[in-house]
Amino acid sequence: MVLRRSKQRAGEPALPVIFRWDLDKTYLKSEFDSLRELVRIPFEKPEDKVAVPGVVPLIRNLREVAAQRGRAVRIYFMSASPPQIAKAIKEKLALDGIEYDGIVFKNQLQHLVRGKFRNLREQVGYKLTELLKSRLTVPSGSREVLFGDDWESDPIIYSLYADLVAGRIVSDDLDEILTAIGVDPQLIVEAQTLAAEVRREPAVTRIYINLERRTPPTNFRAFGPRLVPAFNYFQTGACLFEEGHLTLGAVTQVAEELINGSGYTPDRLANSLADITRRGHLQQTSAIAVREYLRARGLLPRRAPHGGRTSVWERLTRWLRAKPAPAAAGDAAINYETLVTEWRAVR
Amino acid sequence: MPRIAVDAMGGDFAPEEVVKGVAQVSLETDIQCTLVGDEPQIQAVLNGVAYNPEQIAIHHTRDFITMAEDPKLGVRHKRNASILVAAQLVASQQADALVTAGNTGAAVLACAHHFKTIRGVRKAALASVYPRHTEYPGQDQLALLLDVGATIRCDATELVQFALMGSAYARRVSKVPSPRVALLNMGSEETKGGEVLTHAYARLKTISGINFIGNIEGNDLAKGKADVIVCEGFLGNVVLKLLEGLAEVVVDLAGTAARENWRSKLGLMMLASGFGRLRDLTDYTAYGGAPILGFEHLLIKSHGRANARAVKNAVKVAAKAVRDGVTREIAAAIEQL
Repeated sequence: MVLRRSKQRAGEPALPVIFRWDLDKTYLKSEFDSLRELVRIPFEKPEDKVAVPGVVPLIRNLREVAAQRGRAVRIYFMSASPPQIAKAIKEKLALDGIEYDGIVFKNQLQHLVRGKFRNLREQVGYKLTELLKSRLTVPSGSREVLFGDDWESDPIIYSLYADLVAGRIVSDDLDEILTAIGVDPQLIVEAQTLAAEVRREPAVTRIYINLERRTPPTNFRAFGPRLVPAFNYFQTGACLFEEGHLTLGAVTQVAEELINGSGYTPDRLANSLADITRRGHLQQTSAIAVREYLRARGLLPRRAPHGGRTSVWERLTRWLRAKPAPAAAGDAAINYETLVTEWRAVR
Repeated sequence: MPRIAVDAMGGDFAPEEVVKGVAQVSLETDIQCTLVGDEPQIQAVLNGVAYNPEQIAIHHTRDFITMAEDPKLGVRHKRNASILVAAQLVASQQADALVTAGNTGAAVLACAHHFKTIRGVRKAALASVYPRHTEYPGQDQLALLLDVGATIRCDATELVQFALMGSAYARRVSKVPSPRVALLNMGSEETKGGEVLTHAYARLKTISGINFIGNIEGNDLAKGKADVIVCEGFLGNVVLKLLEGLAEVVVDLAGTAARENWRSKLGLMMLASGFGRLRDLTDYTAYGGAPILGFEHLLIKSHGRANARAVKNAVKVAAKAVRDGVTREIAAAIEQL
């Protein structure tokens, strides 16, 4: 979906676009698969922390492109890590040259003191309430794009948040859903209170899930077309270009970082672009624009990623059979009852 | 990194198992695979499994040659069949090797259609690997048998070339420094087997750089006497099918015995670990596939019933052969003739 010019009056400040980022596994390549890695995290220096390939130029460009186009953006980070490591993370963001408008950490100590050990691992209640709190601070009418990963519960949290703000979930349903997930009752009440205060509007346009665990894309089908599972930030960048948040130059910078900093090859990038197009998250016209621009700069192979010749008839029939573009965010209708049941079964 | 073209539509369980196998390869290795076949069907399978899209390209073509189809007719009438398009990708340097679990005849014809034979090679040979006893520590559990069907009858020169090609393949892929090469014959004596075999014998024993150990008989096939067994296609195919048939009969007999009485059942239970080892040894999915040798490019033919594991291992074998320069090694061996 391409951002249209807002119908603002002269002199009236433009509504900002809100970009919300999860930190671990979405921005930072945090390794906490083993206990040893988990214990090491608080002692890591900012320069030891590694960003997910391509994320730094992507975020920088979200701000720069908006500035070029006279739009405002706000970038927020949300982490399930305790505030004790906030200093190192903030320094890391500064090292990467990332400007942000807010960052929130999870007060684990508070849960420990209160003996609420289940809340240490439970993220849905924490993140949902923080998202709602933050929503109350941004100008109403602001559109949001959310970024998470496939490790914990980001898809369900972000979808719940999007549907709450859009008014698709009522208070009683929220209680039922959060109870089924196992959210702390106090946090459920807090979420309901906050949700009641939030102005109902279709705010969230897209949810990007970084497939760090290589979760099969089909697993996210139930979340609807608003959610885009992406295997790398080049795929995300191409979709953000289509939505008008990035320029082709910005996508190029993401591609360059992947090639120069992470060992990607033009073939790997070409395959990524073809994949996100085949999965229906990027339209052919946008894919062609990205491909031609990057080819001209030597970042994609000259030939098609799969090479070979295709007859005109073949191309015509493929075009006719092509999947329709993803539906707009407003078309999403999620069956949370089924979703939560499946989500709990996986966990 | 090796680039492997994979015939996504070839095999009894294609494209499902082929695509799943390639998906596994994409997660475990740096091999670049191009799946050749019906794009919507391939993507539908990919969507349901874990995969790395950076390592997988899809080349769309809707046509394919079925397992039951006449290969000659299929190749003639379906110019855009997946196996032919995949071979074309390799021939045009867009991939380094080809893997298929599809129609064997069509695979051979696709190679003949699109690949040049190595200079000096008169006929290509279809190889197969089969499990056998090992005679010394470190010996590969699989022996290479060729030709198993690319030819029907051969002359002595062609058998000598098969021996050189098989030896080069085993040296590179099985990492046997000096593979023992034998002619399959009706007796071990040099004079046995008719004119073609005696001539081949005489020439092979004079060639340096090949460890020719003479003739072996059918009862030596399952022993570890030779690493590369050479014969003409007609005989090789009969041998291969006999081995497969015997394995099935053994399993069937064991099942029948188990159903007969409790003593047989008990006996089989006590032998369970041994049967398990036998099953592992004869499990074709573990070795993936065998090559068609003699062309400038390599084709690895996987079993028609290949599952994801077999396809994954076939792709790995193909990549290994590319990395180790098998075709260059074969060309060098043929040149010395």
